[in-house]
Amino acid sequence: MDQKIRVLVAKPGLDGHDRGAKIVARALRDAGMEVVYTGLHQTAEMIVETAIQEDVNVIGLSLLSGAHMTLFRDVTKLLKQKGLDDVIVIGGGIIPEEDVNKLKEAGVCGVFGPGTHCDDIVEFIRKNVKK
Amino acid sequence: MRLIVDTFEYGFKEVPRWNTISISGYHIREAGSTAIQELAFTLGDGVEYVKWAIKRGLKIDDFAPRLSFFFNAHNDFFEEIAKYRAARRIWAQEMKDLGAKKDRSLYMRFHTQTAGCSLTAQQPEINIARVTMQALSAVLGGTQSLHTNSMDEALALPSEKAARIALRTQQIIAEESGVTSTVDPLGGSYYIEWLTDKMVEETYKYFDRVEKLGGVIPAIEKGFYQREIAESAYKYQREIDDKERFMVGVNKYTMDEPIEIPILKMDEEGEKRQINRLKKLRKDRNNSKVNRNLDNLRKAANGNENLMPIILDCVHSYATLGETCDVLREVFGEYTEPAIY
Repeated sequence: MDQKIRVLVAKPGLDGHDRGAKIVARALRDAGMEVVYTGLHQTAEMIVETAIQEDVNVIGLSLLSGAHMTLFRDVTKLLKQKGLDDVIVIGGGIIPEEDVNKLKEAGVCGVFGPGTHCDDIVEFIRKNVKK
Repeated sequence: MRLIVDTFEYGFKEVPRWNTISISGYHIREAGSTAIQELAFTLGDGVEYVKWAIKRGLKIDDFAPRLSFFFNAHNDFFEEIAKYRAARRIWAQEMKDLGAKKDRSLYMRFHTQTAGCSLTAQQPEINIARVTMQALSAVLGGTQSLHTNSMDEALALPSEKAARIALRTQQIIAEESGVTSTVDPLGGSYYIEWLTDKMVEETYKYFDRVEKLGGVIPAIEKGFYQREIAESAYKYQREIDDKERFMVGVNKYTMDEPIEIPILKMDEEGEKRQINRLKKLRKDRNNSKVNRNLDNLRKAANGNENLMPIILDCVHSYATLGETCDVLREVFGEYTEPAIY
Protein backbone atom coordinates (compact mmCIF):
# COMPACT_ATOMS: atom_id res chain seq x y z
CA MET A 1 0.00 0.00 0.00
CA ASP A 2 1.13 3.53 -0.76
CA GLN A 3 2.36 5.58 2.14
CA LYS A 4 -0.14 8.28 3.15
CA ILE A 5 0.57 11.84 2.08
CA ARG A 6 1.47 13.93 5.14
CA VAL A 7 0.33 17.56 5.24
CA LEU A 8 1.07 20.37 7.67
CA VAL A 9 -1.63 23.06 7.70
CA ALA A 10 -0.15 26.21 9.20
CA LYS A 11 -1.26 29.71 10.20
CA PRO A 12 1.69 32.11 10.09
CA GLY A 13 1.69 35.53 11.72
CA LEU A 14 -0.91 37.54 13.57
CA ASP A 15 -4.11 36.30 12.01
CA GLY A 16 -6.95 34.63 13.85
CA HIS A 17 -9.00 33.56 10.83
CA ASP A 18 -8.68 29.79 10.81
CA ARG A 19 -12.04 28.64 9.51
CA GLY A 20 -10.62 27.93 6.05
CA ALA A 21 -7.49 26.26 7.40
CA LYS A 22 -9.52 23.91 9.57
CA ILE A 23 -11.96 23.09 6.77
CA VAL A 24 -9.08 22.29 4.42
CA ALA A 25 -7.38 20.23 7.14
CA ARG A 26 -10.50 18.16 7.59
CA ALA A 27 -11.12 17.79 3.84
CA LEU A 28 -7.56 16.51 3.36
CA ARG A 29 -7.98 14.10 6.26
CA ASP A 30 -11.28 12.87 4.81
CA ALA A 31 -9.40 12.33 1.52
CA GLY A 32 -7.07 9.92 3.32
CA MET A 33 -4.10 12.18 4.08
CA GLU A 34 -2.36 12.53 7.45
CA VAL A 35 -2.91 16.10 8.58
CA VAL A 36 -1.26 18.15 11.31
CA TYR A 37 -2.62 21.63 12.10
CA THR A 38 -0.25 24.04 13.85
CA GLY A 39 -2.82 26.34 15.44
CA LEU A 40 -2.56 30.13 15.27
CA HIS A 41 0.30 32.64 15.43
CA GLN A 42 3.19 30.61 14.07
CA THR A 43 6.55 31.96 12.97
CA ALA A 44 8.26 30.65 9.84
CA GLU A 45 10.79 28.92 12.12
CA MET A 46 8.05 27.15 14.06
CA ILE A 47 6.35 26.00 10.86
CA VAL A 48 9.51 24.63 9.28
CA GLU A 49 10.53 22.97 12.53
CA THR A 50 7.14 21.25 12.77
CA ALA A 51 7.39 20.23 9.11
CA ILE A 52 10.73 18.55 9.87
CA GLN A 53 9.48 16.89 13.06
CA GLU A 54 6.34 15.61 11.40
CA ASP A 55 8.16 14.63 8.22
CA VAL A 56 5.50 16.11 5.96
CA ASN A 57 5.29 16.15 2.17
CA VAL A 58 3.18 19.29 1.96
CA ILE A 59 2.89 22.58 3.86
CA GLY A 60 -0.39 24.44 3.42
CA LEU A 61 -0.17 28.06 4.57
CA SER A 62 -3.28 30.10 5.29
CA LEU A 63 -3.28 33.86 5.70
CA LEU A 64 -6.03 36.46 5.60
CA SER A 65 -4.19 39.41 7.12
CA GLY A 66 -2.49 40.78 3.98
CA ALA A 67 1.04 39.84 5.09
CA HIS A 68 1.31 36.82 2.79
CA MET A 69 4.12 38.24 0.64
CA THR A 70 6.44 38.51 3.64
CA LEU A 71 5.37 35.47 5.63
CA PHE A 72 4.94 32.94 2.80
CA ARG A 73 8.33 33.94 1.44
CA ASP A 74 9.91 33.53 4.88
CA VAL A 75 8.71 29.92 4.94
CA THR A 76 9.89 29.01 1.43
CA LYS A 77 13.27 30.69 2.05
CA LEU A 78 13.79 28.80 5.28
CA LEU A 79 12.80 25.51 3.66
CA LYS A 80 15.41 26.08 0.98
CA GLN A 81 18.05 26.93 3.60
CA LYS A 82 17.29 23.71 5.43
CA GLY A 83 17.47 21.77 2.20
CA LEU A 84 13.89 20.50 2.31
CA ASP A 85 13.51 20.36 -1.47
CA ASP A 86 10.98 17.55 -1.40
CA VAL A 87 8.36 19.51 0.59
CA ILE A 88 5.88 21.41 -1.55
CA VAL A 89 4.25 24.60 -0.28
CA ILE A 90 0.73 25.69 -1.13
CA GLY A 91 -1.16 28.68 0.19
CA GLY A 92 -4.61 30.15 0.57
CA GLY A 93 -6.49 33.10 2.00
CA ILE A 94 -7.16 36.66 0.95
CA ILE A 95 -4.57 37.01 -1.76
CA PRO A 96 -4.94 39.46 -4.66
CA GLU A 97 -4.52 38.05 -8.16
CA GLU A 98 -1.38 40.08 -8.83
CA ASP A 99 0.40 38.54 -5.84
CA VAL A 100 -0.27 34.98 -7.00
CA ASN A 101 2.49 34.94 -9.61
CA LYS A 102 4.96 36.57 -7.23
CA LEU A 103 4.20 33.89 -4.68
CA LYS A 104 4.70 31.18 -7.30
CA GLU A 105 8.10 32.66 -8.16
CA ALA A 106 8.91 32.54 -4.45
CA GLY A 107 8.23 28.82 -4.36
CA VAL A 108 4.56 28.57 -3.40
CA CYS A 109 3.44 26.12 -6.03
CA GLY A 110 -0.32 26.48 -5.66
CA VAL A 111 -2.47 29.36 -4.41
CA PHE A 112 -6.14 28.77 -3.57
CA GLY A 113 -8.40 31.75 -2.97
CA PRO A 114 -11.97 32.07 -1.66
CA GLY A 115 -14.48 29.91 -3.50
CA THR A 116 -12.05 27.03 -4.03
CA HIS A 117 -13.64 23.59 -4.07
CA CYS A 118 -11.99 21.37 -1.44
CA ASP A 119 -11.59 18.56 -3.99
CA ASP A 120 -9.45 20.82 -6.17
CA ILE A 121 -6.92 21.15 -3.35
CA VAL A 122 -6.91 17.37 -2.78
CA GLU A 123 -6.35 16.76 -6.47
CA PHE A 124 -3.60 19.37 -6.71
CA ILE A 125 -1.70 17.83 -3.82
CA ARG A 126 -1.98 14.30 -5.22
CA LYS A 127 -0.69 15.48 -8.58
CA ASN A 128 2.18 17.61 -7.31
CA VAL A 129 3.45 15.88 -4.20
CA LYS A 130 7.06 14.67 -4.40
CA LYS A 131 7.42 11.22 -2.91
CA MET B 1 -12.67 36.57 33.73
CA ARG B 2 -10.85 38.65 36.30
CA LEU B 3 -10.00 41.35 33.76
CA ILE B 4 -13.60 41.42 32.51
CA VAL B 5 -14.98 41.88 36.01
CA ASP B 6 -12.25 44.48 36.75
CA THR B 7 -13.47 46.37 33.68
CA PHE B 8 -17.11 46.29 34.87
CA GLU B 9 -16.14 47.47 38.33
CA TYR B 10 -13.84 50.23 37.16
CA GLY B 11 -16.34 51.37 34.54
CA PHE B 12 -19.17 51.70 37.02
CA LYS B 13 -17.03 53.66 39.49
CA GLU B 14 -14.95 55.84 37.20
CA VAL B 15 -16.54 56.11 33.74
CA PRO B 16 -20.23 55.34 34.27
CA ARG B 17 -21.31 56.13 30.70
CA TRP B 18 -18.65 53.92 29.15
CA ASN B 19 -19.75 50.76 27.35
CA THR B 20 -17.52 48.43 29.32
CA ILE B 21 -17.42 45.46 26.97
CA SER B 22 -18.81 44.28 23.68
CA ILE B 23 -19.79 40.63 24.05
CA SER B 24 -19.07 39.20 20.66
CA GLY B 25 -20.78 36.60 18.53
CA TYR B 26 -19.32 37.98 15.32
CA HIS B 27 -16.14 35.93 15.43
CA ILE B 28 -18.08 32.82 16.42
CA ARG B 29 -20.23 33.14 13.30
CA GLU B 30 -17.26 33.97 11.07
CA ALA B 31 -15.58 30.82 12.38
CA GLY B 32 -18.47 28.92 10.85
CA SER B 33 -21.18 28.58 13.48
CA THR B 34 -24.89 28.54 12.70
CA ALA B 35 -27.14 31.44 13.71
CA ILE B 36 -28.40 29.48 16.70
CA GLN B 37 -24.88 28.66 17.85
CA GLU B 38 -23.91 32.32 17.52
CA LEU B 39 -26.88 33.26 19.66
CA ALA B 40 -26.44 30.54 22.27
CA PHE B 41 -22.67 30.85 22.69
CA THR B 42 -22.65 34.66 22.80
CA LEU B 43 -25.48 34.97 25.29
CA GLY B 44 -23.99 32.12 27.31
CA ASP B 45 -20.73 34.07 27.53
CA GLY B 46 -22.63 37.22 28.53
CA VAL B 47 -24.54 35.49 31.31
CA GLU B 48 -21.29 33.95 32.56
CA TYR B 49 -19.61 37.38 32.79
CA VAL B 50 -22.58 38.69 34.77
CA LYS B 51 -22.49 35.73 37.16
CA TRP B 52 -18.78 36.26 37.84
CA ALA B 53 -19.34 39.95 38.51
CA ILE B 54 -22.14 39.15 40.96
CA LYS B 55 -19.83 36.64 42.66
CA ARG B 56 -17.27 39.44 43.09
CA GLY B 57 -19.95 41.43 44.95
CA LEU B 58 -20.98 43.85 42.19
CA LYS B 59 -24.66 44.77 41.96
CA ILE B 60 -26.19 43.71 38.66
CA ASP B 61 -28.06 47.00 38.17
CA ASP B 62 -24.77 48.89 38.53
CA PHE B 63 -22.99 47.29 35.60
CA ALA B 64 -25.55 45.45 33.40
CA PRO B 65 -26.89 48.65 31.74
CA ARG B 66 -23.44 49.31 30.22
CA LEU B 67 -22.94 45.90 28.63
CA SER B 68 -23.29 45.68 24.87
CA PHE B 69 -23.19 42.95 22.24
CA PHE B 70 -21.76 42.44 18.79
CA PHE B 71 -23.53 40.22 16.25
CA ASN B 72 -23.02 39.06 12.69
CA ALA B 73 -25.50 39.68 9.85
CA HIS B 74 -25.40 36.68 7.55
CA ASN B 75 -27.33 35.68 4.44
CA ASP B 76 -30.56 34.13 5.69
CA PHE B 77 -32.64 37.29 5.95
CA PHE B 78 -35.51 36.24 8.20
CA GLU B 79 -33.37 33.95 10.33
CA GLU B 80 -31.08 36.88 11.13
CA ILE B 81 -33.98 39.16 12.08
CA ALA B 82 -35.40 36.43 14.33
CA LYS B 83 -31.95 35.96 15.85
CA TYR B 84 -31.71 39.59 17.03
CA ARG B 85 -35.25 39.48 18.39
CA ALA B 86 -34.55 36.21 20.21
CA ALA B 87 -31.34 37.69 21.63
CA ARG B 88 -33.19 40.60 23.20
CA ARG B 89 -35.88 38.38 24.64
CA ILE B 90 -33.44 35.89 26.18
CA TRP B 91 -31.17 38.58 27.58
CA ALA B 92 -34.01 40.43 29.32
CA GLN B 93 -35.23 37.17 30.86
CA GLU B 94 -31.75 36.10 32.01
CA MET B 95 -31.05 39.48 33.60
CA LYS B 96 -34.40 39.35 35.42
CA ASP B 97 -33.60 35.85 36.66
CA LEU B 98 -30.26 37.10 37.97
CA GLY B 99 -32.02 39.76 40.00
CA ALA B 100 -31.99 42.87 37.78
CA LYS B 101 -34.60 45.45 38.78
CA LYS B 102 -33.77 48.38 36.49
CA ASP B 103 -35.24 48.40 32.99
CA ARG B 104 -31.89 49.48 31.61
CA SER B 105 -30.29 46.27 32.87
CA LEU B 106 -32.70 44.30 30.70
CA TYR B 107 -32.01 46.20 27.48
CA MET B 108 -29.77 44.46 25.03
CA ARG B 109 -27.86 47.00 22.98
CA PHE B 110 -25.91 45.61 20.08
CA HIS B 111 -23.65 46.43 17.19
CA THR B 112 -23.86 44.44 13.98
CA GLN B 113 -21.36 43.80 11.21
CA THR B 114 -22.26 42.13 7.94
CA ALA B 115 -20.74 38.69 7.38
CA GLY B 116 -17.25 38.89 5.90
CA CYS B 117 -17.26 35.16 5.28
CA SER B 118 -20.30 35.44 3.01
CA LEU B 119 -18.51 37.62 0.47
CA THR B 120 -17.17 36.24 -2.79
CA ALA B 121 -13.90 36.97 -4.57
CA GLN B 122 -15.71 36.14 -7.81
CA GLN B 123 -17.75 38.98 -9.36
CA PRO B 124 -16.98 41.17 -6.33
CA GLU B 125 -19.44 43.92 -7.27
CA ILE B 126 -22.36 41.64 -6.38
CA ASN B 127 -21.19 41.73 -2.77
CA ILE B 128 -22.81 45.19 -2.59
CA ALA B 129 -26.20 43.46 -2.95
CA ARG B 130 -25.30 40.88 -0.31
CA VAL B 131 -24.18 43.54 2.15
CA THR B 132 -27.38 45.55 1.56
CA MET B 133 -29.59 42.58 2.41
CA GLN B 134 -27.51 41.70 5.48
CA ALA B 135 -27.45 45.28 6.73
CA LEU B 136 -31.21 45.58 6.27
CA SER B 137 -31.77 42.45 8.36
CA ALA B 138 -29.72 43.99 11.18
CA VAL B 139 -31.72 47.24 11.04
CA LEU B 140 -35.06 45.42 10.96
CA GLY B 141 -33.80 43.34 13.89
CA GLY B 142 -33.15 46.52 15.86
CA THR B 143 -29.37 46.99 15.86
CA GLN B 144 -28.00 50.10 17.56
CA SER B 145 -24.99 50.47 15.27
CA LEU B 146 -23.85 48.91 12.04
CA HIS B 147 -20.73 48.07 10.06
CA THR B 148 -21.27 47.32 6.38
CA ASN B 149 -18.43 45.39 4.73
CA SER B 150 -16.76 46.48 1.52
CA MET B 151 -17.30 44.56 -1.70
CA ASP B 152 -13.60 43.74 -2.10
CA GLU B 153 -12.99 42.07 1.27
CA ALA B 154 -12.58 38.59 -0.20
CA LEU B 155 -9.72 40.01 -2.28
CA ALA B 156 -7.78 42.44 -0.11
CA LEU B 157 -8.12 45.07 2.57
CA PRO B 158 -10.76 47.55 1.40
CA SER B 159 -9.99 50.28 -1.10
CA GLU B 160 -11.19 53.80 -0.33
CA LYS B 161 -13.89 53.52 -2.97
CA ALA B 162 -15.21 50.15 -1.81
CA ALA B 163 -15.33 51.39 1.80
CA ARG B 164 -17.26 54.49 0.71
CA ILE B 165 -19.85 52.44 -1.17
CA ALA B 166 -20.30 50.31 1.95
CA LEU B 167 -20.86 53.45 4.01
CA ARG B 168 -23.33 54.85 1.45
CA THR B 169 -25.21 51.54 1.58
CA GLN B 170 -26.09 52.06 5.21
CA GLN B 171 -26.81 55.73 4.65
CA ILE B 172 -29.38 54.72 2.02
CA ILE B 173 -30.98 52.33 4.51
CA ALA B 174 -30.92 55.00 7.23
CA GLU B 175 -32.02 58.04 5.27
CA GLU B 176 -33.88 56.92 2.15
CA SER B 177 -35.62 53.65 2.83
CA GLY B 178 -37.76 54.74 5.77
CA VAL B 179 -37.23 51.43 7.60
CA THR B 180 -35.74 53.14 10.64
CA SER B 181 -38.92 54.99 11.58
CA THR B 182 -40.61 51.92 13.06
CA VAL B 183 -39.47 49.90 16.06
CA ASP B 184 -39.56 46.14 15.49
CA PRO B 185 -41.51 46.48 12.21
CA LEU B 186 -41.78 42.71 11.70
CA GLY B 187 -43.16 42.00 15.18
CA GLY B 188 -46.44 40.13 14.74
CA SER B 189 -45.48 38.50 11.46
CA TYR B 190 -46.47 34.85 11.88
CA TYR B 191 -43.25 33.61 10.38
CA ILE B 192 -40.88 35.92 12.25
CA GLU B 193 -42.65 35.25 15.55
CA TRP B 194 -42.52 31.49 14.98
CA LEU B 195 -38.84 31.62 14.04
CA THR B 196 -38.02 33.84 17.03
CA ASP B 197 -39.72 31.35 19.38
CA LYS B 198 -37.85 28.49 17.77
CA MET B 199 -34.47 30.23 18.12
CA VAL B 200 -35.17 30.99 21.78
CA GLU B 201 -36.03 27.35 22.35
CA GLU B 202 -32.91 26.08 20.54
CA THR B 203 -30.72 28.50 22.49
CA TYR B 204 -32.01 27.17 25.80
CA LYS B 205 -31.23 23.64 24.61
CA TYR B 206 -27.61 24.72 24.14
CA PHE B 207 -27.62 26.40 27.57
CA ASP B 208 -28.70 23.04 29.04
CA ARG B 209 -25.98 21.14 27.20
CA VAL B 210 -23.34 23.59 28.41
CA GLU B 211 -24.70 23.34 31.96
CA LYS B 212 -24.34 19.55 31.81
CA LEU B 213 -20.67 19.97 30.84
CA GLY B 214 -20.17 22.00 34.01
CA GLY B 215 -20.69 25.52 32.62
CA VAL B 216 -19.15 27.83 30.03
CA ILE B 217 -15.49 27.54 31.03
CA PRO B 218 -15.40 23.74 31.35
CA ALA B 219 -17.23 23.56 27.99
CA ILE B 220 -14.51 25.69 26.38
CA GLU B 221 -11.78 23.62 28.03
CA LYS B 222 -13.41 20.41 26.80
CA GLY B 223 -13.51 21.82 23.27
CA PHE B 224 -17.31 21.69 23.10
CA TYR B 225 -17.75 25.07 21.40
CA GLN B 226 -14.82 24.52 19.08
CA ARG B 227 -16.16 21.11 18.01
CA GLU B 228 -19.68 22.40 17.43
CA ILE B 229 -18.41 25.33 15.36
CA ALA B 230 -15.93 23.24 13.34
CA GLU B 231 -18.69 20.75 12.55
CA SER B 232 -21.05 23.48 11.29
CA ALA B 233 -18.30 25.18 9.29
CA TYR B 234 -17.35 21.96 7.53
CA LYS B 235 -20.97 21.07 6.82
CA TYR B 236 -21.56 24.52 5.31
CA GLN B 237 -18.52 24.21 3.04
CA ARG B 238 -19.50 20.70 1.90
CA GLU B 239 -22.97 21.99 1.03
CA ILE B 240 -21.39 24.62 -1.18
CA ASP B 241 -18.97 22.11 -2.72
CA ASP B 242 -21.85 19.70 -3.39
CA LYS B 243 -24.11 22.48 -4.69
CA GLU B 244 -26.69 21.84 -2.02
CA ARG B 245 -26.22 25.46 -1.02
CA PHE B 246 -25.78 28.14 -3.64
CA MET B 247 -23.28 30.94 -3.68
CA VAL B 248 -23.92 33.20 -6.63
CA GLY B 249 -20.77 33.61 -8.68
CA VAL B 250 -19.07 30.63 -6.98
CA ASN B 251 -21.17 27.55 -7.69
CA LYS B 252 -23.98 29.16 -9.71
CA TYR B 253 -24.06 31.87 -12.39
CA THR B 254 -20.28 31.72 -12.60
CA MET B 255 -18.33 33.80 -15.12
CA ASP B 256 -14.78 33.77 -16.23
CA GLU B 257 -13.89 37.42 -16.37
CA PRO B 258 -11.09 39.52 -14.93
CA ILE B 259 -11.76 41.52 -11.77
CA GLU B 260 -12.28 45.16 -12.67
CA ILE B 261 -12.45 46.93 -9.34
CA PRO B 262 -9.45 48.75 -7.83
CA ILE B 263 -7.51 46.71 -5.26
CA LEU B 264 -5.71 48.36 -2.36
CA LYS B 265 -1.96 47.86 -2.44
CA MET B 266 -0.23 47.62 0.89
CA ASP B 267 2.57 50.12 1.37
CA GLU B 268 5.53 48.00 2.42
CA GLU B 269 7.12 51.10 3.93
CA GLY B 270 4.28 51.21 6.45
CA GLU B 271 5.86 48.50 8.55
CA LYS B 272 9.19 50.36 8.70
CA ARG B 273 7.48 53.63 9.59
CA GLN B 274 5.66 52.00 12.47
CA ILE B 275 8.83 50.28 13.75
CA ASN B 276 10.65 53.61 13.68
CA ARG B 277 7.85 55.36 15.56
CA LEU B 278 8.02 52.64 18.20
CA LYS B 279 11.80 52.94 18.50
CA LYS B 280 11.52 56.70 18.96
CA LEU B 281 8.81 56.27 21.57
CA ARG B 282 10.93 53.82 23.54
CA LYS B 283 13.86 56.21 23.45
CA ASP B 284 11.95 59.37 24.41
CA ARG B 285 9.75 58.10 27.24
CA ASN B 286 10.74 57.93 30.90
CA ASN B 287 11.86 54.30 30.99
CA SER B 288 12.38 54.04 34.73
CA LYS B 289 8.77 55.14 35.19
CA VAL B 290 7.62 52.54 32.62
CA ASN B 291 9.50 49.79 34.42
CA ARG B 292 8.16 50.87 37.80
CA ASN B 293 4.58 50.80 36.46
CA LEU B 294 5.08 47.40 34.83
CA ASP B 295 6.50 46.07 38.12
CA ASN B 296 3.46 47.39 39.97
CA LEU B 297 1.25 45.63 37.45
CA ARG B 298 3.13 42.37 38.00
CA LYS B 299 2.67 42.63 41.76
CA ALA B 300 -1.00 43.57 41.46
CA ALA B 301 -1.71 40.78 38.97
CA ASN B 302 -0.36 38.31 41.52
CA GLY B 303 -2.79 39.70 44.10
CA ASN B 304 -6.51 40.51 44.01
CA GLU B 305 -6.88 44.22 43.42
CA ASN B 306 -8.56 45.77 40.39
CA LEU B 307 -5.95 46.01 37.63
CA MET B 308 -7.55 48.78 35.57
CA PRO B 309 -5.98 51.78 37.38
CA ILE B 310 -2.57 50.13 37.23
CA ILE B 311 -2.93 49.27 33.55
CA LEU B 312 -3.85 52.93 32.97
CA ASP B 313 -0.67 54.02 34.79
CA CYS B 314 1.28 51.85 32.36
CA VAL B 315 -0.53 53.36 29.39
CA HIS B 316 -0.01 56.93 30.63
CA SER B 317 3.71 56.34 30.90
CA TYR B 318 3.72 54.99 27.30
CA ALA B 319 4.29 51.33 28.05
CA THR B 320 3.33 49.54 24.84
CA LEU B 321 0.44 47.15 24.53
CA GLY B 322 2.94 44.33 24.02
CA GLU B 323 4.91 45.20 27.15
CA THR B 324 1.78 45.47 29.27
CA CYS B 325 0.31 42.20 27.98
CA ASP B 326 3.68 40.44 28.38
CA VAL B 327 3.50 41.14 32.11
CA LEU B 328 -0.03 39.74 32.28
CA ARG B 329 0.98 36.71 30.20
CA GLU B 330 3.92 36.14 32.52
CA VAL B 331 1.61 36.05 35.55
CA PHE B 332 -1.53 34.44 34.11
CA GLY B 333 -0.06 32.24 31.37
CA GLU B 334 -1.53 32.04 27.91
CA TYR B 335 -4.51 30.09 26.62
CA THR B 336 -3.90 27.73 23.75
CA GLU B 337 -6.97 26.55 21.96
CA PRO B 338 -7.28 22.82 21.35
CA ALA B 339 -7.02 22.39 17.55
CA ILE B 340 -10.26 20.72 16.58
CA TYR B 341 -11.16 20.18 12.93
